[in-house]
Amino acid sequence: MKQMVTITSTLLALLCAAGVWGAEHPGKSEIEKNGYKGPATCEECHPGTAKTFLDTVHWKHASKVDNVSNLDSKKEYGMKNRIYTMCNGNDIVNNLKEIPKNAEGKSKFTGCNTCHPGNHVSDVGSTGPEAQNAIDCLVCHSTDYDFRQRKPFKNAQGQVVMGQDRSTKAALAIAKPTVKNCMVCHEAAGGGVLVKRGFVFTKETDAHAAKGMVCVDCHKAKNHKIPTGFDPNNWANDGVRVACTDCHGDKPHKGLSAVYNNHTAKIACQTCHIPRTGGAVAKDFTVWEKGGDGFYEPTTLKQEANATVPVYAWYNKTVRNDQHFIGPNGSRKDGKSKIYPFKIFLGKAFYDQKTGKLLSMDFAPPMANGNTRAGVESAARTLGMKDPAAVAKNAVPGWQTIYFGSNHLVTKSKALNCVNCHGVNGVFNFRDLGYSDAEIKKLTNPELYFKQLIEKQKEEW
Amino acid sequence: MKKSVAVLLVVAFVALSVLSLSRVASAEEIKMVGVITKIDIAGKDAKTATATLKDNKTEKLVVITINDDLTLDKFKDHRIVEGDEIRCKYEVIDGKNVSKLFRKTAGC
Ligand code: HEC
Ligand code: HEC
Ligand code: HEC
Ligand code: HEC
Ligand code: HEC
Ligand code: HEC
Ligand code: HEC
Ligand code: HEC
Repeated sequence: MKQMVTITSTLLALLCAAGVWGAEHPGKSEIEKNGYKGPATCEECHPGTAKTFLDTVHWKHASKVDNVSNLDSKKEYGMKNRIYTMCNGNDIVNNLKEIPKNAEGKSKFTGCNTCHPGNHVSDVGSTGPEAQNAIDCLVCHSTDYDFRQRKPFKNAQGQVVMGQDRSTKAALAIAKPTVKNCMVCHEAAGGGVLVKRGFVFTKETDAHAAKGMVCVDCHKAKNHKIPTGFDPNNWANDGVRVACTDCHGDKPHKGLSAVYNNHTAKIACQTCHIPRTGGAVAKDFTVWEKGGDGFYEPTTLKQEANATVPVYAWYNKTVRNDQHFIGPNGSRKDGKSKIYPFKIFLGKAFYDQKTGKLLSMDFAPPMANGNTRAGVESAARTLGMKDPAAVAKNAVPGWQTIYFGSNHLVTKSKALNCVNCHGVNGVFNFRDLGYSDAEIKKLTNPELYFKQLIEKQKEEW
Repeated sequence: MKKSVAVLLVVAFVALSVLSLSRVASAEEIKMVGVITKIDIAGKDAKTATATLKDNKTEKLVVITINDDLTLDKFKDHRIVEGDEIRCKYEVIDGKNVSKLFRKTAGC
């Protein structure tokens, strides 16, 4: 009942979005009259917004994290300071800058913190009035943003500035964030378009997009705290979460399909409804390849959005975090875990010879000339490690295994059905998942699903 | 290694131009990486556009026709601009190089 109400209200909100929204933002005529002067303009009618924004993951690229092992519970973690192998750096060691010239004499700007709604002078995690004034409200709220403005450049003082479109024209097109607004940064996370997750949100690839839903229909934010889930690789959070069951409950299947409801205690919704994953499956940060433009990039094995079959594992929403492994904790027996789908990604990077710890890399040197150890040295220096040159010289290449959660690309028509799992050669490796031989025999016997599927067949024909 | 790929590509080009000459629609996808030298799009409501790419390997200019909304939108709001390097897959349909995939290469 409750879930019906939630879904109906979501649908209603969608209808409103189509009708009322997009039409007119009540502040429009005021902005038309006085022009757009940055967040101060918005503050006149939305007081306090900028200040609270500074306390979100989108501004800080970090938060306290309580479900991941081997972390200091007092510290904050995120893109600002983590070291892993999907992108072997972070905002600190890969601070936005102009890289050294390559062999063709060309340079360019690069850095992780380009995906930040500040202007770089007020950078990730900065505070105070200047930071408030630097927020790019329009990158998330304007439907008429000119992305030629959103480029790094050097100002008169030689500081590297991230440009913004602060035109009145853009400010006259204020709306609730569209898919495009969010995708400005999310589409190219992980080192290029669709590289990290193969996350395309279109009507062809996602059942919710097909119904006209947008990111913020699910990721509804209050005070700019955007809810997230429990992807083992997305640690920073605003303290609010979103789940499939928020809207659908845990018994969404009716009629003949009601059998699926018996599965939701042990099997996550995503497992049946997101049968594919995508994006890069492996990267080598120790060897970079030269591109046509004369710059180097980490060697990357890419896959299309829907091209990878997931790996299934029990997950209790706590994360094992070791130097060579980041992935789900969980088991069939702990009473808390469900089976979830994951993409396994393997990343090769340098480890510290002395401590065995994964090192990070400043991308500027290898991007210019392919010298990855120079990147390790520069990062070690930025982080204040002792004898950066020796750290880099002795660094040892090694692989890290990372599990990525799979929470979009939802389908109804291609959802896993009885045979996909209970058939011989099903998608689950029941043994690895902890089932005994006797149980497996039962779980793969047609008795389990035969009648059900015959009924379904009759219904369909 | 690199060279043989380039040679293969050229062969593919030749094969395709022969095919399109004989007006046979080919389903074969051609892949290329190149820098945009020119974008032609007629206004905000355009349903099609062309982009000229300079092939990194052959240095030849190739005109690609783009019909998908997502990419057209990126031309309109300038998320993709001249000078960007693009990874592109296209098919030759009625003599036009119709894009099947059109993505910025820029990475980490
Ligand atoms: C003259 C007053 C005024 C100004 C200036 C103004 N707004 Fe608004 N805005 C409103 C009112 C009134 C509403 C509707 C009530 C509400 O949601 O607070 C609104 C609604 C919104 C909403 C939609 C809320 C939703 O959930 O649908 C967003 C987003 C928004 N404003 C952003 C901005 C931004 C960004 C700026 C600065 C560029 C801005 N506003 C400037 C008055 C103003
Ligand atoms: C194009 C925008 C963009 C760029 C550039 C970018 N990132 Fe990210 N990154 C994201 C987004 C969006 C997320 C969160 C969503 C996700 O993981 O899919 C993220 C998440 C992360 C996380 C996980 C953070 C956490 O909370 O656990 C790490 C680590 C990370 N990025 C590292 C990097 C590094 C290192 C670089 C630079 C070499 C980089 N990123 C550049 C967009 C970007
Ligand atoms: C990272 C993207 C992002 C940025 C940057 C951003 N917003 Fe928002 N904003 C959101 C989201 C998401 C919502 C919630 C939409 C929803 O739930 O319907 C929102 C909602 C709002 C609302 C509606 C009321 C509320 O607080 O929920 C206002 C007003 C608003 N934003 C103003 C601003 C202003 C002013 C700035 C710049 C200081 C800004 N936003 C920057 C993403 C952003
Ligand atoms: C300016 C770039 C940018 C834009 C625009 C942006 N994001 Fe993000 N987003 C990021 C980065 C970077 C991270 C990862 C930060 C980290 O984990 O340290 C992130 C993390 C997240 C997370 C996980 C952490 C959290 O806050 O819960 C969610 C969910 C999210 N974004 C949703 C959205 C939605 C929805 C929109 C559109 C309203 C949006 N983002 C727009 C860059 C952006
Ligand atoms: C139908 C609802 C829905 C829509 C629409 C949706 N998401 Fe999500 N998203 C979720 C749920 C649910 C989770 C977390 C599930 C979990 O971990 O259990 C999630 C997780 C995430 C995360 C954390 C990393 C990950 O992939 O798990 C990010 C970032 C994110 N969403 C961004 C977006 C963006 C950007 C859009 C729009 C392009 C979007 N989402 C659209 C429901 C949605
Ligand atoms: C914010 C609420 C919300 C969240 C969160 C959400 N959904 Fe939905 N979902 C909806 C709405 C609304 C519809 C459309 C219902 C309709 O049209 O009858 C829908 C439809 C669906 C459908 C049917 C699609 C079709 O083609 O008929 C499936 C399957 C589904 N959701 C699965 C999921 C899964 C899996 C998740 C988590 C990853 C999820 N949903 C998260 C609101 C949500
Ligand atoms: C064991 C596999 C399985 C699990 C687990 C599962 N589903 Fe489904 N679900 C299906 C299949 C298969 C269909 C399509 C059934 C059909 O065509 O009648 C479906 C249909 C749906 C629909 C569309 C219902 C309709 O009437 O059109 C929704 C919504 C949905 N699921 C949501 C969820 C949510 C939310 C969860 C997690 C609580 C979940 N499902 C868990 C297999 C599953
Ligand atoms: C995503 C894979 C998956 C799909 C799809 C699926 N099942 Fe299952 N099913 C399982 C797993 C795993 C278990 C064991 C759950 C547990 O540990 O309790 C199970 C258990 C069962 C059981 C209980 C067996 C027992 O006696 O313990 C029945 C009956 C069953 N499934 C029937 C079906 C039918 C009928 C369908 C199709 C309508 C179906 N299943 C679809 C994975 C699946």
